[in-house]
Amino acid sequence: MGNVSTKVSIEHLTYKYPFAENVSLEDITLSIDAGQSIGIIGRNGAGKSTLCYVLSGLIPRFFHGKITGKVTIDGEDVPTMPIERLIRKVGLVLQNPFSQISGAKMTVYEEVAFGLENLGIEKDEMHERIDTVLRQFDLYKKKDENPFELSGGQLQRLAIASVLVLKPEILILDEPTSQLDPRGTTEVFETISQLKTLGITILIVEHKFEKLVEYVDKIALLHEGKLLGYDTAEHIFSTSEIETYGVGQPIYTALCKRMGLKKANGYYPVSFGETAALMNGLKESGMDRRTYDG
Amino acid sequence: MRVLSLYVENDTFIHKLEPIAKLLYALISIVITFLFPSITVGAVFVAFSLLLAISAKVFKRMLLLLNVVLIVLLSMVIIQGLFYRQNVTPAFKLWGLTFYKEGLLYSLLLIVRVVNMIISFGVLILTTRPSDLVDNLVQKGLSPRFGYVLASVLQIIPQMLSTTSTITDAQRSRGLETEGNLFQRFSAFFALLGPLVLNSLVEARERAMAIEIRGFGVEGKRTFVRQILETKTDRWIKISLYVAFIVAVVWRIILWAM
Amino acid sequence: MAKNSKLTTAILVLIPVAVGINYAGKLFASALKLPLWLDSIGTMLSAVLAGPIVGAISGAINNIIYGLTTDPISFVYALTSIGIGISVGFLAKAKMFNNSFRTLLSGLIVALVATVISVPINVVFWGGQTGNVWGDALFAFLQSKNVGIWVSSFFDEIVVDLVDKVLCVFITFGIFKVLPKTLVYTFKGEE
Ligand SMILES: Nc1ncnc2c1ncn2[C@@H]1O[C@H](COP(=O)(O)OP(=O)(O)OP(=O)(O)O)[C@@H](O)[C@H]1O
Ligand SMILES: [Mg+2]
Repeated sequence: MGNVSTKVSIEHLTYKYPFAENVSLEDITLSIDAGQSIGIIGRNGAGKSTLCYVLSGLIPRFFHGKITGKVTIDGEDVPTMPIERLIRKVGLVLQNPFSQISGAKMTVYEEVAFGLENLGIEKDEMHERIDTVLRQFDLYKKKDENPFELSGGQLQRLAIASVLVLKPEILILDEPTSQLDPRGTTEVFETISQLKTLGITILIVEHKFEKLVEYVDKIALLHEGKLLGYDTAEHIFSTSEIETYGVGQPIYTALCKRMGLKKANGYYPVSFGETAALMNGLKESGMDRRTYDG
Repeated sequence: MRVLSLYVENDTFIHKLEPIAKLLYALISIVITFLFPSITVGAVFVAFSLLLAISAKVFKRMLLLLNVVLIVLLSMVIIQGLFYRQNVTPAFKLWGLTFYKEGLLYSLLLIVRVVNMIISFGVLILTTRPSDLVDNLVQKGLSPRFGYVLASVLQIIPQMLSTTSTITDAQRSRGLETEGNLFQRFSAFFALLGPLVLNSLVEARERAMAIEIRGFGVEGKRTFVRQILETKTDRWIKISLYVAFIVAVVWRIILWAM
Repeated sequence: MAKNSKLTTAILVLIPVAVGINYAGKLFASALKLPLWLDSIGTMLSAVLAGPIVGAISGAINNIIYGLTTDPISFVYALTSIGIGISVGFLAKAKMFNNSFRTLLSGLIVALVATVISVPINVVFWGGQTGNVWGDALFAFLQSKNVGIWVSSFFDEIVVDLVDKVLCVFITFGIFKVLPKTLVYTFKGEE
């Protein structure tokens, strides 16, 4: 414990899809420590999903095309690792909750079992694992229902449960809330905060920055296939050029930028908590009005 | 409709039989009725299949299934009764048309075969959870990848169609199907189907990715969360079916030789 | 011929979708009161995307599922659907859809294949009928004129199939042409 180790390492990764005109990832280099949570941001077509596919091994197994550079997990080469081992290391949750359901199972319980059956997990262990994740994600009451009867948020939780039941050490979520209503979004984020406490390394692509910054240690900013920044949220969002990449920023940061409100360390706040604390502090020291006017 | 299935949940003896045993009954009874050009053989199987349907408490559902082919069966009686090529013996006259014995008997033979086919398969379909049949087949050696296709078809189609009903309603409200000329209606057909195809192919790709990531492509031993058990009864049923099948084939060959 | 194309996961997932497209085609055709079935577009599309074998599997599963769930008659016509899938797959490989004339020719070939396979099934199961009103009326007429059962059944069937299959072929290619290349390659079988 406490011994921080590199979990994921990417060096000079470049990738081009078959039949594509341009590369979708260009010379990406970054590393992720075990247990960290990383947010991936960038505007449409930046390469966020593509990066997720590389890390989960879908590139080059599912999407062929040209890949160069080095991607490793725990020092093992991802593109060439045997798939059954990779599956136990990395789980991937996609955007559309409906299309992630296998479609072959008639109950929630059996749907969660799908991956375990594929991996040949013994029956006793299978039941134990399924019961655990269903309780963990508050789906146990729904276990005999048809997956397609669930709401969007429940379905996305089912998708996460179905992946986590394989006990991956890294979980990648590609815009898991973009098709959900606010309630579903909250459900999914609560799930993610649970996972953090379990020590799982998390990568999450998300456009809802106000939520995102509360859960991630670092943010990777992608733009046209290139990695433009990889740092804490306050670093990433405090830069003045962030808006030129078309990604937007948390409303609190935008607000504080407009008001010229910076934290003691010289960066703008990114979350509600930080902003509120900052404003309270200013009020107490009687400086709020002056800063506001200036 | 979430699943494309006629399964009626219940707890009868027939429901509890191993799905493969029921499948085997359907297949073998169909083959036998086609091996023997005999109305009696066909009728015996129809009666037995009906008995199964009744004891599985699915008789009413079965009538609905049969209803679908009713018209064709009736038209068969008429067309064969009137025009069967071996017609020689007049049976009766109706509205000045002469029905012949040979044609009527021939249509009756066709009818018992088709009716048995529907009832014996009906027993299987109405009393078996579709995914249990697939699991059963996979556990007995069907490729799991192929099993996946069979099992998912039943759920994915209603999923695809659930979006289409809203689309067709919209078209209907625009009055296309009644006001538009044939060309306009064909363009509307294109406009409806095109996006559906594109959408469902994109979703198919995502589903393929999602199941790959859950080990669908992993080769090696698999386990099953629902183990379909074979009871002693199931085994005896299957053995008797095989025996009946062999006897029928041998008998048929002897009949030929004579 | 090269080795059999491999059934990748993407292709396996394509098969249910192909069957669903068949269903949707039939549904739209009846909703728009088109005087045709248009219910083999999915089978044809899967054959164009992934080859004759996948076309055949989609066709077979289509009829099995259809037979098991709505219309028991269609069960025995799985063979016809298989024939449609295979012929479209091979015609696509032979670039027989590159222009309108070739597409029309392909449509006629597919209709002929469908008919040739259906006729024996009609004869064995239904004494030669198809269950289609217009076709069966023609059948009854030909029978009354003492035309042989096979010939009568052939005309019964082709009346029904000709327009339908030719149109399905055109629609399939109309749709295929506008699908993005980056999507289409996902469903190609590995040769
Ligand atoms: N299957 C594919 N074949 C070819 N090019 C692709 C494919 N998928 C994505 N691309 C291209 O690769 C680039 C990166 O796409 P990607 O989906 O990774 O972006 P993204 O950041 O996830 O965008 P979004 O926010 O829209 O999800 C885009 O230019 C896109 O057009
Ligand atoms: Mg994306």
